[in-house]
Amino acid sequence: MGSAIAMLQGCVPPQPGPELLAPTEAQMKIRSVQTRTFDVKDRQVAMRAVIAALQDLGFIIERANDALGLVSAARFAEPNYYDVLGVTVTVRPQAEGRMMIRANAIYNNKPIEDPKVYQNFFATLERSLFIAKD
Amino acid sequence: MSRWLIAAGSVILTSQLMACVAHTKPEELFQLTAESSSNRAMQTRVFETKDEAELLSASAAVLQDLGFQVEESVREVGFLRAAKERSAREYGQYISRFFVLVLSMGKLLMPVDLHQKISATLVARPINSEATRQEVRIIFYRVVWKGDGQADRQYIPPGQQMMEMLRDPALYQQFFAKLSKAVFLEGFTL
Repeated sequence: MGSAIAMLQGCVPPQPGPELLAPTEAQMKIRSVQTRTFDVKDRQVAMRAVIAALQDLGFIIERANDALGLVSAARFAEPNYYDVLGVTVTVRPQAEGRMMIRANAIYNNKPIEDPKVYQNFFATLERSLFIAKD
Repeated sequence: MSRWLIAAGSVILTSQLMACVAHTKPEELFQLTAESSSNRAMQTRVFETKDEAELLSASAAVLQDLGFQVEESVREVGFLRAAKERSAREYGQYISRFFVLVLSMGKLLMPVDLHQKISATLVARPINSEATRQEVRIIFYRVVWKGDGQADRQYIPPGQQMMEMLRDPALYQQFFAKLSKAVFLEGFTL
């Protein structure tokens, strides 16, 4: 009986809090985790690498905007189809041939704050950028 | 009567368990898996051409030939997204629905797949620095809407959704065969 109650509790959807629109402290903290700078001169090259990396990871590219350097994509947490993972990536040029890439990932509309997630994403992106350079 | 309750309880419990067990963790979803490279090979072809715009417009034309509507296109990054909506009714589902109806003594009419939206996202990009080689990658997926069910005279409202990636190699071969014909070039895999 006890385990049944624990199981039911595990299934309760997350409750929205009053801080829904305000930037949470955790979000400010992970900004550095979400951002990485790469030695790329051309923004389009960087954007194409982002798109390729997301496709490799099985994401569906939903929108891309070249002028703003914006890519948004989503995928379901296969094998199930009710958990959705979304990601928005922005590519912004910094001084002297460096490109700042920022990724925001959400899991079932909740921001992901685990640094490991972003490390994994940037590892794939790095590989994709490396292939694009050759 | 109590037997019915036990049966109903176990069904609810099983569905609860199913909802709780198969969660994939987000950090795993940002990692390349063993299937990533085979999926990539299936979804990608390389064309020896400089003309990326031509490749993209030919892709749009092929998608149109296959009945898709182009929903979004961004030429600068070689991106296309297209979709088509079709009936999702399947013969097999109606047969199993019939048996469930008989077994439940006419009480349960299972919802079946009614409608589906098949979508494709396509990206074309140069893969060498002189841009003489272009790669086209397309990913197909679909969303299915269920409905038309009835439980003990009560109509089950439609609206349950189901999504899946389409990983049938024949689908991709068909698309790339048409694309090769449209651009007069043979696409090859790396």
